[in-house]
Amino acid sequence: MGSEIAQLLSELREDEVIAKVKSELEAGTDPNTILEMCQEGMVLVGDRFEEGEYFISELMMSGEIFNQISEILAPGLTGTGGTKSGKIVFGTVQGDIHDIGKNLVVGLLRASNFDVIDLGVDVPPEKFVEALKETGAPVLALSGLLTIAFDAMKATVKAVEDAGLRDGVKIVLGGAPVDDTVVAYAGADAAGGDAQHGVKLCKKWFNV
Amino acid sequence: MNPEEIKNLFDRRLGRYQAAIALEPVDRMPIACGSNYFAEVYSGNDHQTTVYNQEKWLEAEKIFIRDFPEVDVLRDNRIYAPLFDVVNCRTYRMPGRDLEANTWFQFVEKENMKADEYDLLIENPTAFMLERYLPRVLGDFAEPGSHRAQVALLKGGMAFAQMGQVMRNRGLTLEKECGMPQPTAGFFLAPFDVIADAFRGLNGVVMDMFRKPDKLRAACDALVDEMVNMALVTADPLKRYPIFVPTHKPMFLSPSQFEEFYWPSFKKTILTLLDAGHNVRAYLEGDWSKHWHHIKELPKGRVVCDIDDQADILKALDDIGGHQCLAGGVLSSMLILEKPKAVKERVKLLCEAAGKDKHLLINGGCNIPHDTKAENYRAMLDAICEFGIYDPSLKPMPKTPPKPVNDVGPRMLTSWEERVDEWGGIRGEESLIRQPWELFEKLAYVWIWSWVS
Repeated sequence: MGSEIAQLLSELREDEVIAKVKSELEAGTDPNTILEMCQEGMVLVGDRFEEGEYFISELMMSGEIFNQISEILAPGLTGTGGTKSGKIVFGTVQGDIHDIGKNLVVGLLRASNFDVIDLGVDVPPEKFVEALKETGAPVLALSGLLTIAFDAMKATVKAVEDAGLRDGVKIVLGGAPVDDTVVAYAGADAAGGDAQHGVKLCKKWFNV
Repeated sequence: MNPEEIKNLFDRRLGRYQAAIALEPVDRMPIACGSNYFAEVYSGNDHQTTVYNQEKWLEAEKIFIRDFPEVDVLRDNRIYAPLFDVVNCRTYRMPGRDLEANTWFQFVEKENMKADEYDLLIENPTAFMLERYLPRVLGDFAEPGSHRAQVALLKGGMAFAQMGQVMRNRGLTLEKECGMPQPTAGFFLAPFDVIADAFRGLNGVVMDMFRKPDKLRAACDALVDEMVNMALVTADPLKRYPIFVPTHKPMFLSPSQFEEFYWPSFKKTILTLLDAGHNVRAYLEGDWSKHWHHIKELPKGRVVCDIDDQADILKALDDIGGHQCLAGGVLSSMLILEKPKAVKERVKLLCEAAGKDKHLLINGGCNIPHDTKAENYRAMLDAICEFGIYDPSLKPMPKTPPKPVNDVGPRMLTSWEERVDEWGGIRGEESLIRQPWELFEKLAYVWIWSWVS
């Protein structure tokens, strides 16, 4: 039963998986259990992406289906919907307003049960520092599509250092032009690579 | 230089570029980047000046050409912010207006078409533009028929005509004073990208691929003639330069989605332009490696393909090199962050990989970034002139464009026949009246479609 929801979701059969979720709810299945099944489905989607069977459009569609199901389940979830895997502060760096890549990864991280604090786009270094202080998040994810983001990423890493937080925070950079040269220049810890790789990296860092 | 020397220089540069596109022998690898953002700011202009002050464009270009005379082609500026301001278009954020003065202009992708509006788009694309799309993206056109909307159209048309004049003069000045040709002239988008970038947004179009595939395919087909028209009206009438198409969304698509939704209408658009006697320069943005084998379905030596940073240029050379001229190979991060020595080594490797037979234009991935270090750009040029020399005895000359095998007339909202019918006939020489009338009708039609980019 559980694997059927996971299976339908992993095959992106939108109407069927939503109907199945609704019928499970009506039959009295615990919404928390259904959510776990969906998370299982999202892991299968991630596997298919890594195997080269799925591409970004399939990741986006799975995120869309997952969001719809989350809304259906929300009223019946206890507490925050289960224990979160960990906190991540996320944003597109100052001067850059692109958010497609960021939103995709934020969606995938949330579907993997991470508590993501999404600061939006064009975020100045001090706002990242503030959010790290407020939340105590041990991971900071910086996104950027333009090459001007290189300097903004470097400035953000420096602000985290200046605030004395750097030792307790892992910093990952994402976005089309980011590579190891940029990671070294900015003084960050890793390049996120594609969306799925970024999620895997966070899971590794959090030992999930 | 006297006018004859300038003309010789122009011919040598253009001939070299055109020979490389046609996969013919060249004296040396052309230095032929398309979007050279670095050239726009090298003279010291900030980004706000670059998008707002037309007078600074030629000045900046002349300084760039003086310092980098090895360059074979140099493109014009693409964005003139007042064109957007006069109609209150909000699809771009502009430096100095909504962004810091020294930040780049940036495109804002939004859902400007609802999922249930495909039928109108398919049935009458221009009616969709006028009735739905323009009122949503042009703030002053939000209420068609209002005073603001009427004046916005007037201002929009005047600014469009003025911009066309500036571009023509600039092209002529660069040709006659600097001997400098352009990498591209004219513009279009792949039909799928029109829908994904301008109308539905990436998220919307991805959902449509799953939820309403038939409508999406039909809409792509319906946009072919519109994109062909936009390309032909904005292209170089002398057909010296390829028409530019940046591709945006294939990087997000699976091979089967690309084959089902993206490629058929894109291929048809390109083939129609090639049949009309033009060449095309396509930016294959992101990683196209799962899709680029389709480029072999296009006639050899007619479509320059720019390979982006995220794809492997060496693999591209293996897969499609020798079938089309390719461009790219030097990463943005290298041009911005590394040292000249690294750039030189990279150029040497690329020259060796391409050899004489697989024509390559060494370039950044689809562009030379604004923040390129001048010493790295200089190192790139020096290295091309050292390792990219093939046969100095050759002197390729500009080509005569191929004869068109089709005749695509310009699209208009109101045809000449309809107009004459309304007038009840013409008493004098018809062509004297028809020609200017059609010119403005044709430009107005392209103005409507220009807002998809």
